Amino acid sequence: MLKLIIAKELREIISSTKFAVTFGVCAVLILLAFYAGARSYQVGQAQYDAAVAENLRQMEGLTDWLMVRNHRIFLPPHPLAALVTGVANDIGRTATIHGRGEVSAEDSRYSEDPVFAVFRFLDLDFIFQVVLSLFAILFAYDAINGEKERGTLPLTFANAIPRAHYLLGKITGSFLALAVPLLIPIALGALLLPLMHIPMAGEDWLRLTLVVLAGMLYFGAFLTLSVFISTRTHRTAHSFLLLLVIWIAAVLIVPRAAVLLAGRAVAVPSVDEMASQKSRYHAQLWEADRKAMGSFRPAASEQPGQLLNQFNRFMQKLADEREKKMLEFSARLNEQRRNRQAVQEQVAFNLARVSPAAAFALASSNLVGTSLVLKEHFLEQAGKYQQAYASFIRAQTGGSLGGGRVMMFRTTDGGEEKRNPIDPRAIPPFVYQAIPLNRAVQAAILDFGLLIFFNVVFFAGAFLSFLRYDLR
Amino acid sequence: MSLSLSPNSAHALLEADGLTKRYEDGVLALDHVSFSVRAGEIYAMLGANGAGKTTTINLFLNFIEPTEGEARIDGVITHREPLRAKQKVAFVSENVMLYPNFTALQNLDFFARLGGRTSYTKDDYRRVLLRVGLQEEAHRKRLKGFSKGMRQKCGIAIAILKNAPAILLDEPTSGLDPQAGFEFMQLLHTLREEGRAILMSTHDIFRAREIADVVGIMKQGKLVMQRTRAELAGESLEDLYMEYMAGHTEAVD
Repeated sequence: MLKLIIAKELREIISSTKFAVTFGVCAVLILLAFYAGARSYQVGQAQYDAAVAENLRQMEGLTDWLMVRNHRIFLPPHPLAALVTGVANDIGRTATIHGRGEVSAEDSRYSEDPVFAVFRFLDLDFIFQVVLSLFAILFAYDAINGEKERGTLPLTFANAIPRAHYLLGKITGSFLALAVPLLIPIALGALLLPLMHIPMAGEDWLRLTLVVLAGMLYFGAFLTLSVFISTRTHRTAHSFLLLLVIWIAAVLIVPRAAVLLAGRAVAVPSVDEMASQKSRYHAQLWEADRKAMGSFRPAASEQPGQLLNQFNRFMQKLADEREKKMLEFSARLNEQRRNRQAVQEQVAFNLARVSPAAAFALASSNLVGTSLVLKEHFLEQAGKYQQAYASFIRAQTGGSLGGGRVMMFRTTDGGEEKRNPIDPRAIPPFVYQAIPLNRAVQAAILDFGLLIFFNVVFFAGAFLSFLRYDLR
Repeated sequence: MSLSLSPNSAHALLEADGLTKRYEDGVLALDHVSFSVRAGEIYAMLGANGAGKTTTINLFLNFIEPTEGEARIDGVITHREPLRAKQKVAFVSENVMLYPNFTALQNLDFFARLGGRTSYTKDDYRRVLLRVGLQEEAHRKRLKGFSKGMRQKCGIAIAILKNAPAILLDEPTSGLDPQAGFEFMQLLHTLREEGRAILMSTHDIFRAREIADVVGIMKQGKLVMQRTRAELAGESLEDLYMEYMAGHTEAVD
């Protein structure tokens, strides 16, 4: 009996013109998302290679490591980040490494090409969130009340059909008829990636599979919700309207409203406020150092070079102490801000998770590594790299980090041997490690659970409602 | 698709016993209605709109539950064992609506299987469709282009395929052209001869007179008149109907 209803549902949906048209549109959009994602990755990779080369090129010709300024590292593009963009385009992709001080991410894609920020990208995440949820509604809003309106429900239940079997058959049949065919363009799109020479590691394929799985759960949530609403209403026009309102709230309003509410509920000091506090503290430290400079008493020497070395050592000591204090102060402020931010993010995400759209967006971005953690992860790695870089520069300069904090003084008598240029390729390269899969999965588990929960709750709602549904 | 019941069997296949339905809003739709339809018998329920004809059929199909009394199909109480009861009954509604994207054959196949008949072949479906008067060229056409009469024929074909001992017909000839109506009556004759118990609600007094073995008139949820063909001999059913509509409100015993 169940098989019969599933088969009927499959045949009914697949033989309809509505399916042919909407499936065609969805298939094109999915393939387009994969193609655009692959192209975006290729462009991003080319820009990344050029930026890395340019960074090394600007150091060419320098003859002293102390002259190296603005050594920059870059967040490499990730193939999946183009499919589930998350915040990848919003956060800075570049960090300037001085060997000391705070590292910050600059030059986001949107800050460089703001036109992309206007309508955002047509990525897989967008297609699942917006297009496929509408696709589910379009085919399931009349699952039960449509059968009643058309008159097929009484005829069906004039037979010995348990209601539970019928409902399960309807939902399973609709899911198989709608979700499974969508896997075809997704599989074709995935096939495009190796064809376009996008380097996908085994772990990346696993991440993509999990994203699609989350998408299917999200699709299922809207499908079961639509069936539920169709068991709560007797007219298809009512269920469609109601579902449209729910869709607008779930996809467009709830996630944004949650962030707004969290912003109101948990105050986080702004970056400007922080910068102002740091700046004031820095000025105080400078003032103190300026006074301390007056106490510089060189040991008796007539050699200007020795005098200068003494002065440099004195200044370096002051700079190191000042730097230490500044770092401690900044770290304290940053930690306070991060803690507040973490609370705010938790409040925002937990409120937003009322919506399946938010749960899916969080699950997919966590899996791919384009969630808010990306910035933190990049800066963490940049911070570690800075230490390695500082060690390297110290080794090259005999202890100094340079970076404009020392004065350089050389005497030349014309007969001195010309100094050899430094080799920028000797600088240890920045090797970005993507967020590990187990960490990504851990971060996505809650939202996976929520998506399953939505499916179960909506199915249970539809089941209980249909048990008392007036079949006439 | 022929039934093994004897046309002369006295066994009541459809029974309403003190059947009462009061809705949640207090409206009394059916008030202690009792009647029975035996194998090989056609029972025509006449009455104005809202008299309780469709409510009676809905109670037999367990689409609603009775407030009092019970409906039985071949002895099975419908609200106690709805699935068992439904195995013994076929239903044709006033306006048969099937799946518009399916062909007539596909619709028949689905509903026959739903009714538990899984051994039919396409030839069986074709034969039944021809029997109900649907021409062969329509068998493979999608139902979205079918007229009401053609859909009605498909509905009757589905009822025949179910091969149930009892058939419920809710205004089956409403909207049919005279030719289709005539063919439908011929078909009912055949089904009766096969030994099926048929309960038909209708507004069509002339057809009821022509075909029914028993006629019942319903008014305001009560069965106010019930007569057999023999009892109606020499009387005008139309006059009786008008008379009952004008005055009588007491239920028959």
